[in-house]
Amino acid sequence: MTGGTARQAEPGTWEPARTTVAEPILMPGIDGPWSKVRQSVSWRGHAVVHGYWQQWLPAALADPELRNLLGSRDWQRFSGLTDPEARSRFAASRLMVRYAAGAALHVPPDSVELAYKPGGRPYLRGCDQVDVSLSHTKDLMVVGLNRRGRIGVDTEVASRRVRYASVERQLCTPTERRHLTALPEPERERELLRIWTLKEAYTKALGQGMRMGFSQFGFGPDGTTLRTPDGREVGEGEWSFGTFWLPDSYLISVACQDAGLESGGDTAVGTMLDEGFLGEVVDLLSHRDGR
Amino acid sequence: MPAPTSTGQALVEESVDDRVARLERRFGDPADPANPLGFRALLAADERHELLGAAGELLDAEGFGAELVPAALGGRLVRADTLARFLRPVFRRDIALGFGHGITSLFAASAVWVSGSPEQQRSMARLLRGGGRATIVHRSLAHGSGLLAGEVTASHRDGGHRLTGSKDMVINAHRADAMVVYARDDPAGRPGTGTHSVLVLEPGQLPPGRLLMLPRKATNGMRGCYFGGYAFEDCRIPDGALVGAPGDGVRLALRTFQLNRSLIPAAVIASVDTVLRTAVRAALAGRGGGIGGRHRPLLAGVFADLLACDAMATAALRSLHLVPEGAHLAAAGTKYLVPDLLRDDLEELATVLGATGYRRDGSPGDDERGALSKLLRDLPAAGLGHAGTAACQAVVIPQLPLLARRSWFRAAEPPDAVFRPGAPLPPLDLGGLGLAGGDDFLAAALTATARRIGDRRDLGEHGFALKTLAQAFTGELWKLHDRCREPAAGDRAALSSPEMCALADRHALLSAAGAVLAVWERQSGADTFLADPAWAVLALSRLGGRLGLALPGPPEACVDAVLREAVGRFRAGISYDLYAAPLAEEGGGP
Repeated sequence: MTGGTARQAEPGTWEPARTTVAEPILMPGIDGPWSKVRQSVSWRGHAVVHGYWQQWLPAALADPELRNLLGSRDWQRFSGLTDPEARSRFAASRLMVRYAAGAALHVPPDSVELAYKPGGRPYLRGCDQVDVSLSHTKDLMVVGLNRRGRIGVDTEVASRRVRYASVERQLCTPTERRHLTALPEPERERELLRIWTLKEAYTKALGQGMRMGFSQFGFGPDGTTLRTPDGREVGEGEWSFGTFWLPDSYLISVACQDAGLESGGDTAVGTMLDEGFLGEVVDLLSHRDGR
Repeated sequence: MPAPTSTGQALVEESVDDRVARLERRFGDPADPANPLGFRALLAADERHELLGAAGELLDAEGFGAELVPAALGGRLVRADTLARFLRPVFRRDIALGFGHGITSLFAASAVWVSGSPEQQRSMARLLRGGGRATIVHRSLAHGSGLLAGEVTASHRDGGHRLTGSKDMVINAHRADAMVVYARDDPAGRPGTGTHSVLVLEPGQLPPGRLLMLPRKATNGMRGCYFGGYAFEDCRIPDGALVGAPGDGVRLALRTFQLNRSLIPAAVIASVDTVLRTAVRAALAGRGGGIGGRHRPLLAGVFADLLACDAMATAALRSLHLVPEGAHLAAAGTKYLVPDLLRDDLEELATVLGATGYRRDGSPGDDERGALSKLLRDLPAAGLGHAGTAACQAVVIPQLPLLARRSWFRAAEPPDAVFRPGAPLPPLDLGGLGLAGGDDFLAAALTATARRIGDRRDLGEHGFALKTLAQAFTGELWKLHDRCREPAAGDRAALSSPEMCALADRHALLSAAGAVLAVWERQSGADTFLADPAWAVLALSRLGGRLGLALPGPPEACVDAVLREAVGRFRAGISYDLYAAPLAEEGGGP
């Protein structure tokens, strides 16, 4: 071929952005600081946001548009909740998702529509540049946002007591059980909670919730790598995992994917419709309209 | 075009069926570890970052290149839907092979088929028929990932075109015998109103040293494909390279992409077929030959999704022939929705097959899990991710206000044959496709079919569920209608809003529902699985769930009927699509 330089036959291996998972950002209410979320999504590809529903509640209840804000499916679920605390947490968590998504998409929070796939996975209808995940327990709400692939978050009270003997077969692979059995009691419980929440986060990222058997896959001793049931490391490093213990006794686990389609960092809705196609179609229609 | 006689039709269909079956047979059972064209060999090639050479040789031996050349130019391309069927045996084994050794050449050449000079057309036809490759150098697209970033600029001076600029990721850049370049026209000397022009080039005819080959880029998906790049350095282009008129680029893309946007989803359905088959086998291997528990609705649901995807893709492909003024909407909707549905289906199937992404080590089930992992990597790359969906939204969104005012609930139904897979078609004429405007024929099919089935009393045990769903989707189209009337058609700021993006998503789901209802209705009355409303009820329930409709779950009997068919097709070695084509697999025993 004329003009061609020597070609490189071996492309090397595609390297995912396997950095550590970003530290959860505390969001005390609707006023932000949302620029931190935009920055994290833009620079690191993802952001994890957490907040306390009591702080968010006044904003949720004050919103005259709560019904519109929740949308038909969430409004139905909200209306079906009888426990006042569950209702409050539900409303506040949906508000936080919208604010977080609005920040990542550079649009007003009430313009974002939160929808659900058949397996229960939430998504931002029509805006697939950002994947979302949501988790809450007791007072804490957590939202994950990722522009490079899927994301799953899970949270739990760090002091929650789980009887190892009664859950080990359900929750752990043989390799994990060997690892956990060798640990002293307090550490074992802590590790068990980490493994459990990581598995919740990963299956939520895959959109499957509890539908995937937790003994079918495992994590390495440091909780950052996916393993086969017999302890082998999984080949492709598309996934990053992280667990964070918050000072006030909650823990947050995150599973974050890099599917390898680097989008250049722009997640704004305002720039996503290709000007060439949009402009041409608008022109053609206005000519047809005689305007 | 005169309608073919029924015997003529039978002959045509038979020969297509035969060709598809022969290609399938020659590829052999993909699950057989000893098959040199099976999953084990394909995965090993993928790990080496190569396409499987033997598979490429088979396609060449089958004269694959001629499938991409219009019959008028000596090839076999007459119908978009039969080309999609021919692609399925390839895609059910390896998406990367389908792109790297296949349809990329068509996507490049289609601009030449539409607007090329007779000489350009003859030359391209000769090249592809002879097993040569063409590649495409896209313009830069909004939110473009690595695959779409960068752009080449064309300036017009000294009586000729010169190209400057680079494109990092061009599939088959190292081995393309021809390239079709969508170049930005230098604003200083821009000839018409358009922003881009299309040029067809043969690398060998360019002045020495002015075209540099950029190194191969590693990718996560389709890693067997060779993504190289081109850098043009003030490269003078030979006369006669311009395709169509100066400034025609974006319009040519709007026209020719309608074919890509219908073909890719139609072909990729076959990729998921393979994984569903593996999952059915795995589920059956459990409790003494029966499928139980949570696997029942899951496997039936994925099969119903595949049929819904095929209904939509088939309608889009056939509309290119039958509704040329409105096909752009169906094509964009199909490309927007089907890859997303299929990705969700793969993730559901992963819960049956166990976690993915493991390095293969020869343990049982390794090849099947490996094929799933590979597909989960390949599928986003094939669909171009967010930039791919946003490009479709850019076509649909500006049309929604006008559709609300003029088309929905008013337009006549499209010809019946749009929804009859395999029925006769006039030859494909890409040049006759409209670019915008035209009626929304899938919405018209939705409302007309819903009206008819509302009056029917012969629909059997699932009739009530089907009527309820059809009504719910019609009601949803009214809501869409009310919400889309607001923005003025030309108000670009109002169009680029999350609300409009969400409405385009709803529109795609409603379009799919229209295709499902219309395809089912054309089958009803016969004594076949597709004539039974069960699959349509299940598919529509799932689409309705995505729309957020408050609906009861599908009747258990629908799940049972669809699952029974899924198991039956697995055992008989029959494809999971509307065509029920025979596959190379032995099937699963009794």
